[in-house]
Parts: sequence; C-alpha cells; structure tokens
Amino acid sequence: MRRNGVVVKALLSVYFWLFLAFLLAPLVVLVIFAFDNSTTATLPLEGLTTSWFSEAFTNGQLTDALLRSALIAVFAAIIATTLGLMASVGLTSERLRLRSLTVASLMLPLVVPYISLAVGLVILLQAMAVQTSLTAVVLGHVVIALPFAILVLLPRLRTLDPSMNEAARDLGASDLTAFRLITLPLLGPALVSSFLISFVTSFDEFAIASFLAPSGQPTYPVFLYASSRTPALLPQVIAIGTLVIALSMALVLIAEGGRRWVEKRLVGDEEFADEVSEENLAEGLVMVAKS
Amino acid sequence: MDAELSGHRYRLAGGCGLLTGQEATLERSVTRPPGRRWRPGRGLLVLPPLLFVALLIFAPIIYITLFSVGLRSNIPGAEVAFSLDNWNSFLFGDNNPFRARFFYSMRVALLVSVVTTIAAYPLAYFLSFVARERRYTLLLLLLAPFFTSYLLRVLAWQIMLNDEGVVTWAVRAVGLIPDDGNVSWLIYSTFSVSLVLFYTWVPFVTLPIFAVLENMDHRLLEAAQDLGASRWTTFWRITFPLSLPGVIAGFVFVLIPTTGEFITPLFVGGADNQLFGNSIQAFFGTRDWSLGSVLAMALIVTVVILMLVFGRFLNTDLRATTGGDDG
Repeated sequence: MRRNGVVVKALLSVYFWLFLAFLLAPLVVLVIFAFDNSTTATLPLEGLTTSWFSEAFTNGQLTDALLRSALIAVFAAIIATTLGLMASVGLTSERLRLRSLTVASLMLPLVVPYISLAVGLVILLQAMAVQTSLTAVVLGHVVIALPFAILVLLPRLRTLDPSMNEAARDLGASDLTAFRLITLPLLGPALVSSFLISFVTSFDEFAIASFLAPSGQPTYPVFLYASSRTPALLPQVIAIGTLVIALSMALVLIAEGGRRWVEKRLVGDEEFADEVSEENLAEGLVMVAKS
Repeated sequence: MDAELSGHRYRLAGGCGLLTGQEATLERSVTRPPGRRWRPGRGLLVLPPLLFVALLIFAPIIYITLFSVGLRSNIPGAEVAFSLDNWNSFLFGDNNPFRARFFYSMRVALLVSVVTTIAAYPLAYFLSFVARERRYTLLLLLLAPFFTSYLLRVLAWQIMLNDEGVVTWAVRAVGLIPDDGNVSWLIYSTFSVSLVLFYTWVPFVTLPIFAVLENMDHRLLEAAQDLGASRWTTFWRITFPLSLPGVIAGFVFVLIPTTGEFITPLFVGGADNQLFGNSIQAFFGTRDWSLGSVLAMALIVTVVILMLVFGRFLNTDLRATTGGDDG
C-alpha cells in the first residue's frame, strides 16, 4: 500500500516537471533565436549576436509602436484602477442592492470572448459616428482591465480593519477625510499592484487593439502581428519579444513581491499578511493569464 | 442579514483562482459591530464603473442586433429595412459555410476544454498533495508563461512547428522522417490549433482545481482511509467528487473564451482550421457588417447560454470575492 503511494507520487512529480518543460519550451526557443545570428528562426544555430536587438531599437516603427502601447497602457491602467477603486468601495457597502447582478456585470469581461467585445466597440463607434482611435483602444482596455483591478483591490479593502476608519471619524474626520488619510494609504500597495497588472493587460492586448487602432498607428502587439508575416522583420520581433517577456515578468513579480513586502510592514501581522498576499498572488497570475 | 451571511458557505470553487484564507478575511469584514454603519450611499460609487461597463458591453449588443436584422448598415446610402435573410441563411441555408465553421469551432473548443481539464487535474493534485510547502513556488513556475504576451507564445509555437521549425528538425534528427520530409499535420492543422490552445489554457485550469483541493476538508480523506478505503477508492469516492466544482469551473473558463478564439488560428491554422472568431473578424474589416453581426450575435448567444448553464460554478467564486448575498 505504502509503496503504491510512493510510485503514484513519483509519477505525479515526473508528469509535473515534464509539463513545466513543455510550458517553458516555446519561451526558451524565442530567447535562443533572439540571439541567433541568422535571418531565419531555424536550427542549427549559426552563432551568437545581439545585432537583432540594436536593429530593433533603430527601427522607428517598432519603437513608436512600443511607446504608443506604453502610453495607452498608462491611461488604461489609471482609469481602470480609479474605476476599480470606486467599484470596490461601493461593493463593500452592506446596503448595496442587486449585488449579484452588479458583480456579474463588472466581472463579465473576464469570460466574454474578446472578439465580441472588439466587434461591439467597432459597432458602437460607428453608431456614434466616431472614427476608430487610440482613445477607443484605451476605453476597450479599461473594460478588460477593470475586473482585474477589482479583484486586486476588493479583497484588500475587505481585510482593512474597519475600527481604524471608525476611530478617525470618532475623532471628527469626515468620511472623505477618513478615506483619504486612513484607507487610501493602507490601500497604496494594492493600488500600485492594480495599476501594474492593468498596465500589463493593456500593453499585451491584441484582439481589441487590432480592431480599434487606426491603420497608421499600430500598438505594439498589432505591429508584432503584422511584422511576424514579414520574414525580414521576424528576428527583430523575436528580440523585442524576449525583452518584453522579461520586462512583463519582472513587472508582475515586482508588483506582487513589493506589495507583499509593504503590506507586511503596514499590517504588522506577518502571518496574516502572508495569507492575504498568497491568495492575491494567485489572482494576479490569473489576471495576467487573461491578457 | 448576519445570520444569512454566516450561514453562507463561501466555496472557493472558482475559476478566478482564489486560494486559501478567504473565509477568514470575509469573517473579519462582515462582523462589524451593530449600529456602526459606514456612510450611507457608499454603494452609489459602483454606478460610474457599472455605467461604463454597460455602455461598452451592453449597448453594443443592441446595435449588433440591429445590424443583424438589417435595421442599420455600415454601407453609406444602403437601404435599411428589417430582414431576417442573413439569419435564415446562417441558421437554415443549405451548406452555409459559416454554420459549418461554427460547429467546427465548437468541436475544437469542446475537445480542447476536455483535454485541458484532464491534463490539468494531475498538476493541481501534485501541487496540493505532493508538493506541500513548495506548492506556491511551483504554482508560480507553472504560471510563468502567462506573464508573457499571448501573441508571442503563439508566435513561438509557429516558429517551433513550421516546416523548417525546431520540432521538424528534431524529428528529422532522430531519423523518424527523411531529411527533407515533413510531418503534414504538425502545423496549419486542427492538431496545431488545438495544441496551442491546450498549451495556453492548462495552467489557467490548474488554478481552480488547485483551489478546491486546497480547501477540501482533509479530515474526510483521513476518515476514509481509517475506515479501510484504499487510496484509489478514497480518490474516486471522496477527493474527485468534492473537487468537481473546481473541475467544472476550469472547464468553463476554457470553453467560453475559446468559442471566440481567433488569434491562434491566424498563426498556426491553415485555411481549413480557421475558427468562428476568424469568420467574425474577417467581416468587420471593410465588408458589409450585417452578416458579420449575425455571426457575432450567434457567438454572444452561445456564450450567454454557456454562462446560464454553468454560471453557478463561476458565481460561487465571485460570491467568495465580494461576499455578495442578495441573490
């Protein structure tokens, strides 16, 4: 019996590690070809080079697209975090009516296929006689980032000790002052986390941007798609891609790790903070997953 | 209300990957001393975000409906009149190519969802029951590819699977096929589209299953074994049935978005392997949107039906997040 269990555990371990290799393989392949001195992404490798990186950074269209995406992502993240904060504070109200319906509506973009969102936005713009624009891309990205912002902010808001707020008000602070001086600072790390996760979501988003970005102003993923069809541009795309992979991984890890560290300081109760951030970490991961 | 809340089971079944500790935190927030209500009307703050989502999600659905029955048109000067012609040909027309595409797509989505869920289960089981204290680190590793853009991952697969790609090279190197040979179904096939979708979703499905396994009452497992059940029996009679909500949540979380998938086939699908999402995408370029709107509506209706059927498995999760209790 015991022996049987050991075998099963060993098999499960092997399965897990093989699967991990399968999951990481495409990323490793990308990184390898980013440094391969060949114009095609084929084996055998032809030598080490960093020229694709320098070429990519002198490609004005590519750097423009990166900047454009970064700018869109900043705006989308600010708006999504603001709306997410409003929604989260509102959802903590015990007297809220139609709560299930409200939550379901706010979380809807998590499950709706992005193409139906994108098509809907295209049609909405047409109905309002507005041209597609980068502003429209920002609005579309706010919709998909909003559930993630709420999923980061709401659990954190719920773990705040309400007695602190009550103490502030007993001492004569108005609700708004109490919110500004007590809740907001305590929420700081979660707000940063929400901003970064919304940023990454927007920065990588292709479906909506491919419909809404005007043809002369591609976002980075739209440019990436277009140039992946041009063999001459492929090595540059791969080079920039590996940089973006590294950066977005770093960003999310910093967002989560940093927040965890700060919240530990703020909460003081280490065990409790651990509990909170472990659960939020997994949420953070899911958020990125959707992008 | 307090009684109602405390009587509520906050099942962490959901696809959003909520993990442990939620119950405790909810407890903390709902047991506020009576008579010390927060400011009235705080709930009104949900209105701006709600209106925003309503405007950008629900309003377009009305317009898509109008387009699909000919009451609006994107072609300047075109006649606008109610007509069900497009619906008729999509639903009942002989050999309608888009209807065929729809069913092909749904078959792929279903296949991918089933296989993904089956593959994810042992991963979640390993994390929860074998990896123990390392489980969060390993979970992080498992989810690492998700930190990177979807487009890049699909592109990486195209690079690996194409006729001169890494996989073909490896298969040639071990001598399974001649040096100038190819594996015909390796790319631009149902296989390649399904493989990449499978690759994308497995870590995502692992999360809800992991969450239920983590929250399972392990005393039940001990009890079963104390009463003489083998590990195998314990698994099939206790563990697996109890983990079903997570399994279904994971399954639905793949199935719903996959019904509208169009990016993967753009890279690794051939002309015959484009999905329904690609048909929709093709229509919303410069072409007449009315038929595209029929297809988009068909997708939206499919998604709504799936959500109505499986919604409660997703809902348990959202409830756990918000402590909602009025439904």
